[in-house]
Amino acid sequence: MAPAAPAGTGASPPGGGPWDVVVIGGGNAGLVAALSARRHTRRVLVVERAQQPMRGGNTRHTRNIRCVHDRADGFTTGPYPFGELWRDLCGVGTGPGDEKLAELTVRESGAVPAWMGGHGVRWQRPLAGTLHLGRTNHFFLGGGKALVNTYHRAAARMGIAVSYATTVDDLMMDGDRCTGLVTPGGVIRGRAFVAASGGFEANIGWLRRYWGDAADNYLIRGSRDNDGRVLAALYTHGAGRAGEERGFHAVAIDARSPRFDGGIATRLDSIPFGIVVNSTGRRFYDEGEEIWPKRYAIWGANIARQPGQIAYSIWDAKAAGLFLPPMYGPAQAGSVSGLAGALGIDGRAVAATVAGFNAAVRPGGTFDPARLDDCATTGITPPKSHWARPIDTPPYYGIAMRPGITFTYLGVAVTPQARVLRADGTAFANVFAAGEIMSGNILSTGYLAGFGLTIGTVWGRIAGVEAARHAHDG
Amino acid sequence: MPMMDEMFTEAQRQLNICNACRFCEGYCAVFPALERRVVLGAGDITQLANLCHDCRACFHACMYAPPHEFAVNPPEILSRVRLASYDGYARAGHRPGWLRAPAWLRPSWPRPSWLRPAQFRAPTWSRGHGALAVAAVGVAAALLLLAGLTAGISALWSHRGPYQVISYPALLVTVLLPCAWSAAVMLRGVARYWRDAHGPLPGPADWPALGGALVHAARLRYLRGSECSYPGGNPSAARRRLHAAVFWGFAACTAATVAAAFMQDVLGIGPPYPLLSVPVVSGTAGGLGIIIGCAGLTVLKRRSDPEPRAADYGLLAGLGLLALTGMLTLLLRATPAYGLVLVAHLTTIVICFAVAPYTRFVHGVYRFLAIAADSIEARHAG
Repeated sequence: MAPAAPAGTGASPPGGGPWDVVVIGGGNAGLVAALSARRHTRRVLVVERAQQPMRGGNTRHTRNIRCVHDRADGFTTGPYPFGELWRDLCGVGTGPGDEKLAELTVRESGAVPAWMGGHGVRWQRPLAGTLHLGRTNHFFLGGGKALVNTYHRAAARMGIAVSYATTVDDLMMDGDRCTGLVTPGGVIRGRAFVAASGGFEANIGWLRRYWGDAADNYLIRGSRDNDGRVLAALYTHGAGRAGEERGFHAVAIDARSPRFDGGIATRLDSIPFGIVVNSTGRRFYDEGEEIWPKRYAIWGANIARQPGQIAYSIWDAKAAGLFLPPMYGPAQAGSVSGLAGALGIDGRAVAATVAGFNAAVRPGGTFDPARLDDCATTGITPPKSHWARPIDTPPYYGIAMRPGITFTYLGVAVTPQARVLRADGTAFANVFAAGEIMSGNILSTGYLAGFGLTIGTVWGRIAGVEAARHAHDG
Repeated sequence: MPMMDEMFTEAQRQLNICNACRFCEGYCAVFPALERRVVLGAGDITQLANLCHDCRACFHACMYAPPHEFAVNPPEILSRVRLASYDGYARAGHRPGWLRAPAWLRPSWPRPSWLRPAQFRAPTWSRGHGALAVAAVGVAAALLLLAGLTAGISALWSHRGPYQVISYPALLVTVLLPCAWSAAVMLRGVARYWRDAHGPLPGPADWPALGGALVHAARLRYLRGSECSYPGGNPSAARRRLHAAVFWGFAACTAATVAAAFMQDVLGIGPPYPLLSVPVVSGTAGGLGIIIGCAGLTVLKRRSDPEPRAADYGLLAGLGLLALTGMLTLLLRATPAYGLVLVAHLTTIVICFAVAPYTRFVHGVYRFLAIAADSIEARHAG
């Protein structure tokens, strides 16, 4: 462990007595907590697990934030009032975990864009293909790594120290107080601590507890460092739970993606334009149920339930060019059974599925990828409700898909001051939490685009200020 | 050309990732242009490469940049394509046999690479600098010989204006010949680039787009959007300002030359010109701009991160030398050193102009073409 001098070189030790506030984790929530704490206290340290070039955790893969705003600005197309975000939040999964904390999050979100701008964040118009988010979400220029870089620049200006390549293995506790963080290089002592170290989605062993062997076939879209080490340590020291233990966000991604950190580029948007079969060559879910942005988040779980946690998206020449080209390129063949062979599945089964599907496509529909069109199937299970066209024009294309886990929801329970609660209902004296590690308080399942960053920013601010206050007042 | 294929395949691989991600859409024109394309051909990649101004904002914002296994680094790969494209458009496809020297005349030592027959190859600074030195000595010797033959060798130590050293017609031919050659090669390159990157010639409907492109180019729009992220990944206006110093410095020097020609050939006032005359004031300001700009850009380049580097100091060194020798001829024009300094300046001019189409001197030409093609394309896309 070698916490860097404020200059951020990573070379010189911090020296001197304990830190006022030590933030575990250098993603959005951690950096926001550090910046907020520094306004109220002097000696602030961010402990970042990654080396400098890979800093920022899963925030590196984010691109927008969902906040309440009264009117359109240069970067959003219209107002997004409190009531509407609240309704959107209630419509997701099983709804808010803790209504009071969720309501606080939505209310405080209104101040977030201005706070971000005040720390150097620049905005851009919604990215192409994200029009459905143009009114509700603010996109920051360059995406999440640019956001992280911006916050690090602000941190360096304000004299916040950063210790890179530092893993926190445990917390040293004295009753309800944390006295220090155990790292391979030694103990980091401080007066108050903020846990902003993310979820446990990169810990396959932990996922196996809930998903069994299937977890071995999950790909993790974010940082390999999110192994839940700090979360597990907090549980050991008596922290209370929040969020659904099987709750995660997962999308369909290319099966050839790396095990960790493939991010947004590996996702597939081909599903509504063809059919999806499992390893036995059979369809299993309505590929045209809803417009794609509203459905893409369910396909990770859909595939997770299939044998071997693998499925195959198949389309024909008519659909080429209707969606973004996949980064690795699709398999291609002149016949359906040839394609199945290229994908490594039973050609006869797939050919039979395609023939059955083609026969069930209701003739006379007008194909329109921009809306819920009238191209549907009849007399087939599962149906395809929209964009159903026969798969009959070679060449045929296909890609194997696996569940790509974005994040988990299981975390620690907190008070409205972001103080971590113990299972017995009392709070730790000086341990606070922000971001994914406590997002289960607000959303226990489901997914709302850009809201993870909202949680991280709102609670990073609360945790930072409260931790700094505690460091001074004891 | 396997190396070419490898480079385009790598560019395609990286740009496919960019197209699936799109986080950098707001930085510059490259990413919106990429998103208008579903299939990336060599012409598309060449156009994107010349549209890239190497500001590196996308590199610093990229979560897939090395050490990530995707190893995405658009400024680096696009720089490679861009430099190779300068080379490719400057050279003829095949040199006709009758232009080749007979075997017994061909030197047995390795020829400098810029004399080797057509190949699409990324130039580097080290490439051919021996040859340049030889050429410089040769041109300087030729100029001295010329001076000796036309005005007598003692004229070199006189300091009564350039034509006492080299006669006006001789000087004109010396400078215009390489210029004409360069212009011809560049024009052919322009035509070939436009065919590959865009296709149809611009019509009247495209004039507003072309006007917009001119404004973008003059104001260095694409160095402005995000500010350059180097050195060190911190946004800074340094590179744009230094580039502007070189650009407008070059324009001022051109204006000085035109003004001098006007004074001499129209008004009949021959050089040397007084300190407070258009050629001297404009030339001095321009020369200083170029020297400061080139020096600053060299420092920036040296301090920039090694990762996306496609460093090539040839252009900066050439422009810097042009300006420096030009300033020296002005400063030393009343001393016996004048003749030799003038020869040095002319040598620099002849060499820089003659090799311009084969070096990054042409970047301004292709940049403008890329911006123009992009403006037209963006307007068509709405």
